[in-house]
Amino acid sequence: MNKNKIINVKNLVKTFEHGQVKALNSVNLEVSEEEFIAIMGPSGCGKSTLLHILGGLERPTSGEVMVDSVDLCQMKNLDTFRAKKVGFVFQLHNLIPVLTAQENVQMPMFELKLSSKERNERAEKLLRLVGLEDRIDFVPTKLSGGQRQKVAIARALANDPKILLVDEPTGNLDSASGHEIIQLFQRLNKDGRTIVLVTHDKEIAEHASIIYYMKDGQILEK
Amino acid sequence: MRFLWLIFKNILRRKTRSAFTVLGISIGIATIIALGAIMNGMTISMEGMLKSGKADFSIAQSGISDFAFSRVNENRTNEIQQLEGVKDAAGVLLGFYPIANNPYVITWGVETQDFPLLGVNIISGISFSQEHELLIGEVASKEWNKTVGNTLTIRDQEFTITGVFQTGSMYQDKGVALSLNKLQQIQNQEGYVTVIYVELEEGANAEEICQQIEQNYPDLVTIKNISELSKVDKGLETLDAATLAISLLAIIIGGIGVTNTIMMSVYERTREIGVLRAVGWTKKRILTMVLGESILLCLFSILVGLLLGVIGTQLLTLQPIIRGLLTPMYALDTFLRAFIVAFSVGLVGGLYPAYRATKLSPSEALRYE
Repeated sequence: MNKNKIINVKNLVKTFEHGQVKALNSVNLEVSEEEFIAIMGPSGCGKSTLLHILGGLERPTSGEVMVDSVDLCQMKNLDTFRAKKVGFVFQLHNLIPVLTAQENVQMPMFELKLSSKERNERAEKLLRLVGLEDRIDFVPTKLSGGQRQKVAIARALANDPKILLVDEPTGNLDSASGHEIIQLFQRLNKDGRTIVLVTHDKEIAEHASIIYYMKDGQILEK
Repeated sequence: MRFLWLIFKNILRRKTRSAFTVLGISIGIATIIALGAIMNGMTISMEGMLKSGKADFSIAQSGISDFAFSRVNENRTNEIQQLEGVKDAAGVLLGFYPIANNPYVITWGVETQDFPLLGVNIISGISFSQEHELLIGEVASKEWNKTVGNTLTIRDQEFTITGVFQTGSMYQDKGVALSLNKLQQIQNQEGYVTVIYVELEEGANAEEICQQIEQNYPDLVTIKNISELSKVDKGLETLDAATLAISLLAIIIGGIGVTNTIMMSVYERTREIGVLRAVGWTKKRILTMVLGESILLCLFSILVGLLLGVIGTQLLTLQPIIRGLLTPMYALDTFLRAFIVAFSVGLVGGLYPAYRATKLSPSEALRYE
């Protein structure tokens, strides 16, 4: 069955330092709903910049970027887009050290009109989903690297986004934990989430259904 | 989890740093509380001098900056008493002497027939009738452990206590009263009094009578209430200005301390702020969080400052010179002023770091190491 394009990027250019540094050079990319794609490439090739633009963290210099029917070049307020349309998972979990797993997962929910009780319940449910139901009240320092990354994934799912944008999720993990995390993404993909994974690790990228290669700010091949 | 809980937890991340910041602001708050209490105590003391017993207003020398130095011709008392609408007038001489190891005791030179107008009730013993006799105030009697039959020394002259009086004014009841003639003689001020207390006939117009007195006697000034004290005494005004200056200083010093603490906290959490922006937090929410931390720190400072202020004031009153002069009074407006100062410090101190936090680009913040 032909699925709708949830991400559509045309001739995307992103420059820094007043045009002196070209991070993305005429990038074209199409991602269908419920697809799991990986973008591979060496450090500095522009893959993280592309991910940041897809997630509304950066604005393109030129080109077209449509994500879940939102034109990111035209949209003035990207906060709402980030809160509702996408979920980010970073290489470093970036959890708030003084908050418990459950409290960390609630962070994105503050922008939704939910009661404190609803936030608690939703966070608990998400932690169950990632297999951390027995670690709800643990602070990050009491969790292993893999568990912290799972909390970060639960946080990314907090507002039930259709798209997960994942930046080197296993970069700081041992292979067993890394494998577990990738399996979790596969499961989430099967449940209907679109996943865009950025990595320089070929073994990790191979778990995606499509792999794109990037070099010098351009997508070279599929 | 509630948003306020997050703000609270953020403050607790660096407990020592937060504690020192709170302590810094608290000292400013404590100073405001202590000065306010002393100021209120002084106001009440001054009121005690200005309004005595049944007196509707008092009269002092015009053009002076300290009420205690007022010098009014004693004959004016009789002249004022003759005015239409005036029921009674009493001339009183005030002096301040070290008595019974207390360095600053208010000493009243009065005529015994003026006791009803001055509200002096003798609660034990009898009034003075001889030159070297005096009455002791109820509070002074208890504090100094002196009563009828004991003696007190004023300027090397020994006086026997014949009675204990009570006026209801803490300030007056901390002093002693002796005959007007004797005090004039001790102070070399024969024929002069410090103040004339005036009681009006029922229905008399105080405003008109005061105007008439000031017109007829340009060397005199009338004081109907404490708000007119500045006509004869600049002490309270000066203290009030000093309190205001110290409050402003507390805002500036506290504000810089809070700015520094919150700024450091924002720098340390740059990456975290990037993540919060990435998960959809608006700039307004980031601003609210950082400002909230700053304001909450200052609200904690109020609690600590209150405690330090009250303890500090009580320690001050252990000093005989302070105890003899005033009783600190804690009024609502003092606490309100402390609250406003603390809140302003929080707001002003947190504004710049909060602004900086909102200006962080989410993408750059995520790359921050």
